[in-house]
Amino acid sequence: MRQGLHEDVAAVVIGLAAVVLALAVTWAARPAEEPGSRDRHPKGWPTPLAATVGTPGTWTDQPLVAFHGKGGGLAITPTLLGMGWVVLVGGLGTLLTGGSLRRFLLGGCLLAVLACLAYVMASQKLVKYYNLEYPLWALAVGLFVGNAAGVPRWLAPALVGEFFIKTGLVVFGAEVLVSRLLALGLPGLLTAWIVTPVVLVTTYLFGVHLLKIPSRPLCMTLSADMSVCGVSAAIATGAACRARKEEISLTIGLSLFFTVIMMVAMPPTIRAMGLDPIVGGAWIGGTIDATGAVVAAGESLGKEAGEVAATVKMIQNSMIGLIAFAVAAYWAGWIDRDPGGPRGTLAGEAWRRFPRFILGFLAASLLCSWLHSQGPEQALWVEGATTGFTAKLRGWLFCTGFVCMGLQTNFRELAPLLASGRPVVLYLAGQALNLALTLAMASLTFGWLFRKAVEP
Amino acid sequence: MSPLHSPSRAVVRLVAGGMLIAAVWCGLFPRLLEVGPVKRHVALMEERRVDPSAMYYTELERLPLRPAWVDDVLVLWP
Repeated sequence: MRQGLHEDVAAVVIGLAAVVLALAVTWAARPAEEPGSRDRHPKGWPTPLAATVGTPGTWTDQPLVAFHGKGGGLAITPTLLGMGWVVLVGGLGTLLTGGSLRRFLLGGCLLAVLACLAYVMASQKLVKYYNLEYPLWALAVGLFVGNAAGVPRWLAPALVGEFFIKTGLVVFGAEVLVSRLLALGLPGLLTAWIVTPVVLVTTYLFGVHLLKIPSRPLCMTLSADMSVCGVSAAIATGAACRARKEEISLTIGLSLFFTVIMMVAMPPTIRAMGLDPIVGGAWIGGTIDATGAVVAAGESLGKEAGEVAATVKMIQNSMIGLIAFAVAAYWAGWIDRDPGGPRGTLAGEAWRRFPRFILGFLAASLLCSWLHSQGPEQALWVEGATTGFTAKLRGWLFCTGFVCMGLQTNFRELAPLLASGRPVVLYLAGQALNLALTLAMASLTFGWLFRKAVEP
Repeated sequence: MSPLHSPSRAVVRLVAGGMLIAAVWCGLFPRLLEVGPVKRHVALMEERRVDPSAMYYTELERLPLRPAWVDDVLVLWP
């Protein structure tokens, strides 16, 4: 095999190239009229790249409808191009890391087809409207094919799931905008920046020391998923602390299961408690794992609650870069340290083990955050590039990464993790703490401390 | 990673699993969509243009922004 780049470095190179490409193409096609008008461009400037990376649409009982365009006719090209990006990114990664492109191609095409199948399953109307996101179906498709038919030898060179996830994370960095943190002022900051780290650390320590779960990465992945922003946080922190495939799969399964329950149960509970809708919205935003489910539950309470819930969740979303960096640094500096190994400085040892793709993730986040903060036009530029292209590209990369994980996971390896029941207890205990602390903080900040007096 | 199973058994398993998935996704799930509370939930989400399957805020139909009414209700920066 040719000597190539380290997988992390290849992920950073390709991921940052995709972000720069998105920004450059969106800038080149910037609108001539009112480029700074949010009313005219509510999701940012339209980018020509959006047409190159589509996903299957919503369908009810005819899966082929997933490939219909807005006019009703068959429009499969954007989805085929999305699958093409998977093969392109995987092929480039194989070349950069010194592998054989010829050996990757056939398997890469099959992975893209399986990822498309997972997207089709996730876009069925019932599945979509109850927040059963594509990572769950990507894992399920991989597990089913891998366990029903096995994995042929020719597919093995394409099973670079970690590379797809790491590249997806670097691309994902473009969406993690630090400037979003201030969207709801001090009440939003306090709710997100005090409760979230407290719940994250407490749940992790509870899992490690009281429940004595043997895997620290599982405790961290589960805690971050539950306290920050669901599946996206599980992917970022799971990669940062090198959690095993089975551990990330288990976390995502648990998270989506409880998210559906909370999405359905929280709005009537808030109504029954007689909570103010703004406090209820902030409570929902700070506790339900997945962004889509937060908005769904918030909107069930009312328009105001929905808007507050979505904005609080967005502030929490913005923390993921910092948390992934902190987890990676903690793991590199303390957890992965070899007591019998050669002694170096702590910083030097930590740097040697630090996962380099996290730096790419942070670089993309800082670049786009800086651009986004430069003015209304730049904000719409970044939003157009991310919502129109990078968000969909990283979706395909994550989806393919999870298909690989499923293919490489044996059902039997999941059994011991589930049989003990301790991950479920950890999730429930952490979520109970999260619910209590977030309710207290939301009532304090949104309900009392920063609330303007109502004029009689 | 699971080794490759015998071709005939693999085909039977894949076809059986595929049929089961098709039955659930194309048969059971569409019927569940007609059940009262499910129907109301989906109708509300469609009316409000909410995509509950969004994994991150950038995937939402509308990007969350500070609502205009918030300044009338909250002191954001005391």
